[in-house]
Amino acid sequence: MVLTMFLLFALYLVFVGALWWSNSFVYLPLMGAFVLAQFFFSDRLALYSMGAKKVTEEEYPELHAAVSRLSQQADLPKPAVAVADSRVPNAFAAGRSQKKATVCVTTGLLRTLDRDELEGVLAHELAHVKNRDVMVMTIASFLSTVAFMVVRMGFWFGGGRSRRDGGGGFLVAIAASLVVWIVSFFLIRALSRYREFAADRGGALITGRPSALASALLAIDGRMDNVPKEDLREQSEMNAFFIVPLKSDFIGKLFSTHPSTEKRVERLRELEREMETR
Amino acid sequence: MGLLDTIRAVLGTNAEADATRDADPEDLFGMSTAYLTMEADLGFESMGRAALCFSGVDSTDFAETVGDVETILRAGEEETGTTFDVREDSHGWEWVVLRDDDPEDLVTSVHFAADEFRERGYGSRLLAAVFGFERADGGDRAYWIYSFRRGAYYPFAPGRDRERNQRLEFKLESVLDGELDVEDDESYWYPMWPDSDGGHPWE
Repeated sequence: MVLTMFLLFALYLVFVGALWWSNSFVYLPLMGAFVLAQFFFSDRLALYSMGAKKVTEEEYPELHAAVSRLSQQADLPKPAVAVADSRVPNAFAAGRSQKKATVCVTTGLLRTLDRDELEGVLAHELAHVKNRDVMVMTIASFLSTVAFMVVRMGFWFGGGRSRRDGGGGFLVAIAASLVVWIVSFFLIRALSRYREFAADRGGALITGRPSALASALLAIDGRMDNVPKEDLREQSEMNAFFIVPLKSDFIGKLFSTHPSTEKRVERLRELEREMETR
Repeated sequence: MGLLDTIRAVLGTNAEADATRDADPEDLFGMSTAYLTMEADLGFESMGRAALCFSGVDSTDFAETVGDVETILRAGEEETGTTFDVREDSHGWEWVVLRDDDPEDLVTSVHFAADEFRERGYGSRLLAAVFGFERADGGDRAYWIYSFRRGAYYPFAPGRDRERNQRLEFKLESVLDGELDVEDDESYWYPMWPDSDGGHPWE
């Protein structure tokens, strides 16, 4: 994981160098502002795109009680709780900081899981909040996003502009951005998979029951196969946030933001053995 | 964020570190004098009940530890007359509920039980100690909750329909602050709602 972060950092250094060399640096503050805005509104965006609503203690007392005590164990302020009306069983955590965090579950999840399993999933999400994963992933993907925007700009204006002012520099910036975007895409996904393992482990230690999260992951995985395809497609852009990503047949392991369920369950079983024999 | 916290954030081990951190029982004993202040200054009497909330671990060793805690409390029962039972609430969290008219004995028993968990390496599983109070005229109820994770007390006054009686909570805080180590960040004042109006957190 440290290697992944190091590679990403090195890549970004080269990228900034290329931007500097090609005099395209002027775009950076502008794009920085864009990404910053995304960071600050990410929670509202995520909730909005899922059609999720924040719910009160009175509406969902059980859910609130579970979140409250799990936060207590994790030493976190109690986050806001939201519920999305969807048959797809899933959950995610949003918000840029620990005090602004929201934990969201779908009605499908509430129906699919029993109490212990639900706590396992909630604890996994709280572990993401505790590990500041929204912030880490935003920082890690900042320049990747910039690179993506430069590439897109290149497609729009690149041709005409380079003829007018013979801007070789701009072409270099686009080429560098393309390479940076592709490579960082894989590195960021590797990082994301690592953070998922870390959240599984942290979550299991919060509940004290690795088996509950393992059986929840299996239950969600199994249930996904029975959910109508349209429901799944609707939400696939939210994949990186989810506890278990929606399935896709052609996307390979390198492209995935999450490790496979089998691997996650295997690690949780190891943790369970560790706890039994300590 | 300190340096250590930053490193943990980068490595993604914050959750693990904090979920397994040992309990901080240092300021638990403040309650033995707070009982007097509660009665003298605010008219709140002890309910004669206190409870220790912990979250279990799926292991044989932990089950044995709970058994040992019961043994210790049973020995204490003969000495001080503090009765107890171990129960699970409807959310799956476990409680040791203690009964004694003498508040001092309640604090001591909570301390004994908490100590045993810590000695067996399960201090991180202790969540809270809850001390119950009520007004003599049968009106308000309030609880002082000691968070073993934060090492501090906070007040909890449940009203009707899951509304907290915030005025009362702030009054309790302002009168007892200093005598008790009160959590100053209110975002850590976790509610511990009873299942029904008029119940207790441990029910």
